Amino acid sequence: MIAVLGLVVGVVAGLLVRPEVPAVVEPYLPIAVVAALDAVFGGLRAMLDGIFDDKVFVVSFLSNVVVAALIVFLGDKLGVGAQLSTGVVVVLGIRIFSNAAAIRRHVFRA
Amino acid sequence: MSEQNDRNDQPENRLRRELPAEVPVPAAGPAAEEQPQQPLTGRQRLVKGLWPPRFTRAQLIVALLLFGLGFGLAVQVASNSDTDSALRGARQEDLVRILDELDSRTQRLEDEKQGLEKQRSELQTSSDQAAEARKQTAEKERQLGILAGTVAAQGPGITMTIEDTKGTVEADMLLDAIQELRAAGAEAIQVNGVRVVAGTYFTDSGKSVSVDGNKINAPYRFKVIGKPQDLEPALNIPGGVVQTLEKEQATVNVERSDKIVVDALRQAKRPDYARSSSR
Repeated sequence: MIAVLGLVVGVVAGLLVRPEVPAVVEPYLPIAVVAALDAVFGGLRAMLDGIFDDKVFVVSFLSNVVVAALIVFLGDKLGVGAQLSTGVVVVLGIRIFSNAAAIRRHVFRA
Repeated sequence: MSEQNDRNDQPENRLRRELPAEVPVPAAGPAAEEQPQQPLTGRQRLVKGLWPPRFTRAQLIVALLLFGLGFGLAVQVASNSDTDSALRGARQEDLVRILDELDSRTQRLEDEKQGLEKQRSELQTSSDQAAEARKQTAEKERQLGILAGTVAAQGPGITMTIEDTKGTVEADMLLDAIQELRAAGAEAIQVNGVRVVAGTYFTDSGKSVSVDGNKINAPYRFKVIGKPQDLEPALNIPGGVVQTLEKEQATVNVERSDKIVVDALRQAKRPDYARSSSR
């Protein structure tokens, strides 16, 4: 419950404050958000499976974000930033979908 | 998802496999009574996790991370949906391309502007030339108008008055006077309100004289524009106009003046046959 509240408060704060995204972070933010979403779905699935562990969640969340940003950074340096970030989004999207399928089976038993 | 991978029974994961195993042990402590009875379904776990709210360390950490996620999500969405920053999310090569397009467009417009400016200056020059030509034409028209008698003229000159009490002055004497004046450089002449032009003729009509068919009576007043120092001597030379007239009992009076106004006008006549051959 606290976690859901945290998400809601974060969204509200982001909408209210509307901070200027620093130029350095700008290319990485979207990918980082998608990576974090992937971690959250994984955590939700683990919770439904009864094997949720906050330490694992924290590590996977942070490492997902960092690795995603790193891949985009590397891609930009190699000149294939657009393609590489597309690839990252595709991979994370697949994982999100499979996790969502598992969550759906738990919640709706279907 | 990483949580799932940690559970895989892969040989090289042996060490990590032990780590999650530690977690259920303290977790199993408080829930020891429930788990042996029957394992909770996913839905029950979800409901249990949502309510009642528990302020555990895990919950707070996860809440913090999710706060960051929500914040980043909202910020990204907001910055992406800004209408004025369509270029914001664009990649570098796209920006370079857009910049190139803008550059070439600027170049094109600049060329067009130069062409139009050139055209404008040409038009201006030609209209200046046309105005100049009009001005010269008007000037020439005035000059020719003085000769043709269609415009009034003024300037230095003389007035010659011929008193003819005996009625002895004849047309040829007046014509002689005109010829003499012309020879002395007279530029505009009028006699008793009749402008003297190239085709002017004098005829005798009884006691008086007709100029171009207009009967004029004595005294005959000549208004002449020209150089007074030339005109007066020309009339007064021995055996000249004045002496001839005085021989006929007429009195002649010549006066110099700084301002003579010749304001008798002629209608401009369009020639029927002659056409200008100059182009």
